[in-house]
Amino acid sequence: MTLDDAAAARAASDALHARVLSMIRAFELARPMPEPFDALAVDLSRFQHRRVPGYARLCAARGVDVRTITRAGQAPAVPADAFKLSRVFAFDDAEASVTFRTSGTTVGARGAHPMRHTRSYDAAALAFGRAMLAPDLPPQTPVIVIGPSAEEAPDSSLAHMCDLFAREMQGGGVGAAFVRAGAIDLAGLRARIGALRPGERAIVLATSFALVHMIDALAPELDGALALPAGSRVMQTGGFKGRAREVSADDLARDVARVFRIEPRWIAGEYGMTELSSQFWEATIVDPVARRGVYLEPPWARVVPVDPVSLDPVPEGEVGIARIEDLANVDSAFAVQTHDRVRRVHGGFELLGRAAGAAPRGCSIALDEMLSASSRIGP
Amino acid sequence: MTRSIDARVADVRRLLSAAEAVHRERARLVPAIAEASGLSREGVELGFESLEREATDEALRALVAAAGDAPHVHVILSANVFVAPLRALAIARAAAARVTVRPSARDPVLTHALVAAAGDAAIRVFDERDVAAPGAIASGEVHVYGRDETIAEVRARTSDRPGVIVRGHGAGLGLAVVTRSSEIHEVAGKIARDVVAFDQRGCLSPRLVVVEGDAARGRSFARALHEALTAWGERVPRGAALQGERAEATRWRSAVTFAGDVFAGADHAVAFAPAVAAWWPAPAGRHVQVVAHSDLEGLAAPLGPIAPFVVAVGTDDPARVCAALPPGLAGVRTMPLGRMQQPPLDGPVDRRRDMSTRARLR
Repeated sequence: MTLDDAAAARAASDALHARVLSMIRAFELARPMPEPFDALAVDLSRFQHRRVPGYARLCAARGVDVRTITRAGQAPAVPADAFKLSRVFAFDDAEASVTFRTSGTTVGARGAHPMRHTRSYDAAALAFGRAMLAPDLPPQTPVIVIGPSAEEAPDSSLAHMCDLFAREMQGGGVGAAFVRAGAIDLAGLRARIGALRPGERAIVLATSFALVHMIDALAPELDGALALPAGSRVMQTGGFKGRAREVSADDLARDVARVFRIEPRWIAGEYGMTELSSQFWEATIVDPVARRGVYLEPPWARVVPVDPVSLDPVPEGEVGIARIEDLANVDSAFAVQTHDRVRRVHGGFELLGRAAGAAPRGCSIALDEMLSASSRIGP
Repeated sequence: MTRSIDARVADVRRLLSAAEAVHRERARLVPAIAEASGLSREGVELGFESLEREATDEALRALVAAAGDAPHVHVILSANVFVAPLRALAIARAAAARVTVRPSARDPVLTHALVAAAGDAAIRVFDERDVAAPGAIASGEVHVYGRDETIAEVRARTSDRPGVIVRGHGAGLGLAVVTRSSEIHEVAGKIARDVVAFDQRGCLSPRLVVVEGDAARGRSFARALHEALTAWGERVPRGAALQGERAEATRWRSAVTFAGDVFAGADHAVAFAPAVAAWWPAPAGRHVQVVAHSDLEGLAAPLGPIAPFVVAVGTDDPARVCAALPPGLAGVRTMPLGRMQQPPLDGPVDRRRDMSTRARLR
C-alpha cells in the first residue's frame, strides 16, 4: 500500500467509523437511527471488498458484485475460520493498535482480529452493555471482574471489554479483576465485596467457567457466601466447550443467585466473539418477563440464522447457523459466518450451541473435531 | 499363547481366501454397499481394489505379533470404510480362538459376506448393539472401530468387567508429501487416486498435501491435482454426501476461498494458500488442501499440531520425509503415493504402539 493509498484507506475507514458511532450515539440518546442499517452495511462491504483481498476473492467466488448490492444480506459473510487462516483487516499491519485473539484450536490455530483503534468497539460495547446491564445504576457503580485484567490478558477481547466497563462504569479499573495467573483470587474477591457500603449495588462480570470454579471453591456453603447488596447485577458469558465440567444454564443461574444472594433476574447472559465488535445480551435485567437464553441485538448488529450448506437465511423460527452482521466491524468483516446454531424468537435469538460436525460415515476424522475450541478467550 | 503362530497365520489366510471369494462375486454386493456407504457404484468397485486378498507370510507374522493374545475378541464396527471388516476380523482372529463381530448398523454387507464365505466356526456375527448385553463378552478384548464417542461409550459400558480390555480404533486422516524430485503431474495422478477411493472417508485418505518448493510449484501441483480429480470424477463419480458433510465442505470452501485459490470441479475442490497461519486438512469428500514448503527440514513445526490425527503418510521418498516429520509421527505408516489405500496386511493401519488409543484400521 502506498502512502497515498494508506491515507485514503484511513480516511474512508474514519468516515465509516463516524457513521457507526452516530448510530451508537443515537441509541444512547433514544433517537431514531441516523441512517438505515443496509445503507451502512453496503458501504462497509464495498470498503472491505476494496481493502481486504480475501473478501474480494470471496465475493468473486460467490458471484457477488458489491457495486450493485442494496442490502446487507446480499454481501457474503466472512467465515470465522478465516480469522485463523488469513489476515482479515483493511489496513497495514503496523497500524494495528491492538490485536484480539481467539483461544487455540486442537490444531493450534488462533484467530486474530487486529484493530486500528477501538473507538467503535468501545462505544458499541459500552452503549449496549450499559443499556442491558445497568441502565438504572448511578455513575461510579463498583465493577468486579471475575476474570483476568486487560493488562494480564492483553489479547483477550473479553478482558478488554470488562476493563472498559470497569473504567467507565465505576470510574477506574484498578484492582477490579480477580483472576490472576489463571486462578480465582477468592480472598481478594471476598474482601472487595466485603468493602462495599451497605446498599451500594455492584456489577459482577464473569465467564460461566469462572463462576463454576468459584462455586466449586465455595461449596457446600453457597448461600450468601459472597452476598452482594440487593439490586447488584451479574454478567455471565461464554460456554464450557473443552472444559472439565459442564453445568446447565438454569443450574448455574440458581447457584450464582445463591452465592451472591441476588434474584436470578439480575443475572444476564452476554454473547460475544473475538471476531466481532458488538455483543448480544439477554434482557433479563431490563425486562422482568424476558426469557433466559434469548439474546437481543443492538440496532447496529443483526443475527441471521442461515442454512449451513447454502448459507441462505432459513425460514422464520427455524434453526440455522448464525450469520452476524456487525456494523461496528469497520476494518475487518462487517458480516461474519459462525458455526453457532441459533433460532429467531421473541424479537431476539436463541443460542443453541455449536453446529455438529459431519455425521460419521467412514473413519476420516471430521474437520470440526480438529478445530473444536471456544471462540473468545476467558479465564 | 495357546495357538501357534503358524496356526494363527493359517486362520488369517482362511479369511483372505474368503475375501477372494467375496471379491469374485462383488457384482452381487455392489448395489447394497453403494446404498449403505453412500459411494457411487463405480466408487464401490474402486473400493474393492483395496480389499486385502493376499499377503506375504512376513506381513501375516507381523500382524499376528501385533494382534496379541486373548481368549475372545468381540469386534465392534461402526464408522469405517466398507472394506475395513477384513482387517478387523484378521486381527481379531489372529489374537483369539473365538471371535464375535457386530457389523456396522449402517454398512453391514461386507461383514456378513466375509463371515459367511470364511466358514470359520470360530467367527460369529453377534448383532447386539449393547456391548454389556448378556452373551456379548465376559472376558477378553473388545476392538472398537469408530468415533471417539463410540469408543468412550463402549469403555463406559464395560467398565465393570475387569476381564475385558477395550482397544479403541478412532478416526484419522492421511497426509501426502510431494518432494522436490517428484514430477508434479505424475504424483498428482497418484494422489488423485488415493483421494477418490472411498470418497476420502477413510483414515488413510490424504486431505493435506505438502509440496516441497515455492508457492508457484505448490499452485502448479494444486492445478494438476484438480485436473487429475476432474478426470477421475468422470470415471468414478462422487457418491451422495450427507447434510453434515456438505455443511463441513461449505465451511471449508468459504475459509480457503478467503485465504487463497480454490480449484473446484463438480465432484471435488483443491485449495492452495500461499501463506496461511495454520495447516488445516480439508474435510472428507474429495477436498484437498495444498500447502507449499520451501524445504522438508522445516516440516516438523507446522505439522506438529495435526500429528495426533495422521494415520499414514504418502510419499515417494520415505526416508527423507520420515526424517523431517515431527516427533508425534515417529513410526507412522508410510505408503507410496497412489497406494495409500492399500497397506500390507501386517497389523492395524496405524503402527503406533499404543493400540488402545491410537491404532486404527482404514
